[in-house]
Amino acid sequence: MPQTAEAVDTSRDTDISFALSSAWTTTVWNDPVNLMSYVAWVFRSYFGFDREEAQLRMLQVHNDGRAIVALGTREEMERHVEAMHDFGLWATLEREDR
Amino acid sequence: MRGFRAAGENLSAEFDRVEAALLSQLAGQVAALLRGAQADDAAPDPVIARLLPDAYTDDPEASAEFRRFTSADLTERKVRNALMIVASVESATTASESVEVLLDGVAAQAWLRALTDIRLVLAARLGIEEDDDEIRADEQALILGDVYDWLGWMQESLLSALDLDG
Repeated sequence: MPQTAEAVDTSRDTDISFALSSAWTTTVWNDPVNLMSYVAWVFRSYFGFDREEAQLRMLQVHNDGRAIVALGTREEMERHVEAMHDFGLWATLEREDR
Repeated sequence: MRGFRAAGENLSAEFDRVEAALLSQLAGQVAALLRGAQADDAAPDPVIARLLPDAYTDDPEASAEFRRFTSADLTERKVRNALMIVASVESATTASESVEVLLDGVAAQAWLRALTDIRLVLAARLGIEEDDDEIRADEQALILGDVYDWLGWMQESLLSALDLDG
């Protein structure tokens, strides 16, 4: 069944390149200006986190100084960072630590 | 002023003339500041850096590139949000009594962002950079500090009014 084997190989290649290109994260940083309720609201309305998750990430930003809120390709993370800047939050993207 | 509360599909607050004029003036100033920065190719000043921060912590070149691709759009949206505030409170700036200001969903989204941007600009002017920073003690700073807190209260009331149906 060589055709099947070929098909598996192709999908494996795709997975590997996806994994490599996914290695970026979006970080939201604490700032003294934004209200905690606003940050939680942004996380809910933009990332679609439920109330609990949004609250948890917001507290992480507040207490730890930052939280990672998304993982994906560089292009996707740039879109998220731009959206965060649109909301007035301080966000950056970085290559994921390996 | 009465803070925001849900009014059917909309959100409603009451502003007197002085409050409406102050808010309108601040929003107009932020819009003008953003437009001025857009026209100016020089390195962004600290206030603009709060509105359009670096997208990369350790890569100035990538940050500059990101800014090149996104700042025109972001600036335009931020200007539009600020001007939404100006338009929403316009009738209240000339009224002799408190006037109800009604926001639909789209306007509320613009207000939340624009209030954030105004507070970011005030914070930069006041030197608020860390959570525990004290506001400067001179008279102008005390007034700006009150305005800053008032805008925060307004945003909080807008969020809790939105939250009831969220």
